[in-house]
Amino acid sequence: MADPAIATSLHLALELHKPLLIEGHAGVGKTEIAKVLARLLGTDLIRLQCYEGLDASTALYEWNYARQLLHIRLQESDGHAPADSEAKIFSEPFLLKRPLLQAIAHEGRPPVLLVDEIDRSDEEFEAFLLEVLSDFQVTVPELGTIRARERPHVILTSNRSRELSDALRRRCLYLFIDHPPFEKELTIVRRKVPGASEDLAAQIVALVQRLRRAKLAKVPGVSETLDWAEALVVLHAAHLTPELVGETLGCLVKDEADLRKVRADIEAGRLPLGAA
Amino acid sequence: MTADLVRRTVVLCRDLRSRGMTVTTAHAIDAIRALRCVRMESRERVYLALRCVLVARPEEMEIFDDAFAVAFSPPPPGAVEGSVRVQRRSAPRDPAAVPSLSSWAKQEEEGGDGEDAEAVPAASDMPAVVQKDFSTFGADELADIQRIASRIARRLAARPSRRWASDRRGRRIDLRRTMRRALAELLDLRFRRRKPRKTRIVAICDVSGSMDLYSRFLLQFLYALQGTVARVESFVFSTVLRRVTDVLRQPDYARMLRGLSAEVHDWSGGTRIGESLSTFNRDWGRIVDRRTVVVILSDGWDTGDPSLLGAEMEMLQRRSRRVVWLNPLLGSADYQPLTQGMQAALPHVSVFAPAHNLAALRALERHLLS
Repeated sequence: MADPAIATSLHLALELHKPLLIEGHAGVGKTEIAKVLARLLGTDLIRLQCYEGLDASTALYEWNYARQLLHIRLQESDGHAPADSEAKIFSEPFLLKRPLLQAIAHEGRPPVLLVDEIDRSDEEFEAFLLEVLSDFQVTVPELGTIRARERPHVILTSNRSRELSDALRRRCLYLFIDHPPFEKELTIVRRKVPGASEDLAAQIVALVQRLRRAKLAKVPGVSETLDWAEALVVLHAAHLTPELVGETLGCLVKDEADLRKVRADIEAGRLPLGAA
Repeated sequence: MTADLVRRTVVLCRDLRSRGMTVTTAHAIDAIRALRCVRMESRERVYLALRCVLVARPEEMEIFDDAFAVAFSPPPPGAVEGSVRVQRRSAPRDPAAVPSLSSWAKQEEEGGDGEDAEAVPAASDMPAVVQKDFSTFGADELADIQRIASRIARRLAARPSRRWASDRRGRRIDLRRTMRRALAELLDLRFRRRKPRKTRIVAICDVSGSMDLYSRFLLQFLYALQGTVARVESFVFSTVLRRVTDVLRQPDYARMLRGLSAEVHDWSGGTRIGESLSTFNRDWGRIVDRRTVVVILSDGWDTGDPSLLGAEMEMLQRRSRRVVWLNPLLGSADYQPLTQGMQAALPHVSVFAPAHNLAALRALERHLLS
């Protein structure tokens, strides 16, 4: 499914060793790009899912406290002095590597690091991430500095729920993904849901494309199209009928007010259904 | 790579910069490195590669397309070395074309007051400053408004967030610090608590003719919020909606006002609240979430379709934590919200409050915080 814009962006990200920031509507396959890239390069995908309140200890590393405690207890019962324990419990076996450190300390081929939905994290984390991305090294006070042998390939995605800082944008290559046009979406459906007949797939895509032009609060993405197609295949649908659409509409339209609106449109025959 | 291609790329970078995009020398170098990576005979590949490096947000796509078309048009644009023709998208506006705001800015610079106390709907007969209608304030008194607005902003800035900070009086044990300090002795416990979090406010402010008297105060207020709380997005509208967050962020106040009068061309025009909110929901709806307080400042005199206003308000209410509608006319004892626009909007408003004096502003604090 090599769209020239996507292919060029990935190519440049690899050649220039820069992070690639991908923005676009929900469900257009931003995350999928990272997965495909990892598969193409034959390397590991390390994913950091962002959320509000995400901080360094969840993203980078944390000490395994439970294990440290256990170790101290065992040492005590053996009659060791606590001073001996210190060096031991702050060594690598007691370090829990979170995604960012995993990516930096990764052995073998450089992995693909996916920082998913960066817009959900807060500004402080964004600044922290920027620092990590600029030199790919981490200093753990007790252990010293860990440096990436080769830079991981970094892909960031954003749903634009908030504006990202200019500093982050400046550091990255940029790719905006829009909803695919009819032909491309049809190809995607045919490939991902092979059970759907050509007729059905075309009808599904036609309706989805139409719905995207309607003023909905939550516009269906490609992933919704695929869910819906799967659901229809499970129901052994050969083509769309108002009844079938009514029963399965929840796969596609996920907002109460939108549902009401779309149902009204179907009843009034304003949407392209069935053998049109 | 041909010298011509390099020159065109440099010309493109300079043009983009003059059109307001952030294009540093590092970007230009990356752009040229990027060209080395793609097949250069394909114009599309060159376009995609440069776009990927130089564009940083969707709003810049159009600007880029324009500039690319100019820089990579068939005849070489750099016929005269170093001279770049820059086409501004719109000529700078004459400040005189926007009377009220620019004259205000001017007055601010001169330090004069020149206020004419016209009859305005007064809230009460108390003579105190806090009860005084904003429309009767002189420029010297505007400092009071700014002070109160700053106080509100500071309180807003101190709500707990989901991040943790080490704190002796916290509720949760900070295991990391405890281990560091005590090693084997888990007696001296370290604690942590949630760090304060900033509330996000989206302010949408009416600057149409009927609101002109109050626009001074409203902007002062927004400006103070913007300076203290990081997360304020501000918009103004009359017939068209404009985002003014970046304009309000200018440290120099007088310059900010000049910038705003250049930005808001339809200052003191008619009002189309419904359409403005529709634009907001379409282009900026993504910045509103469940912890965003949306503040709308308007008198509700809408010349557009009331049902559109109602629908857009409903959408805003569903997405946000709360919608606060401030109407300066509420300060008048005999005001009734009977206009069609106000009637359509009210069912979707969580808080309907006046905003005509400092006392009203002080009360607003509660609606923004609770």
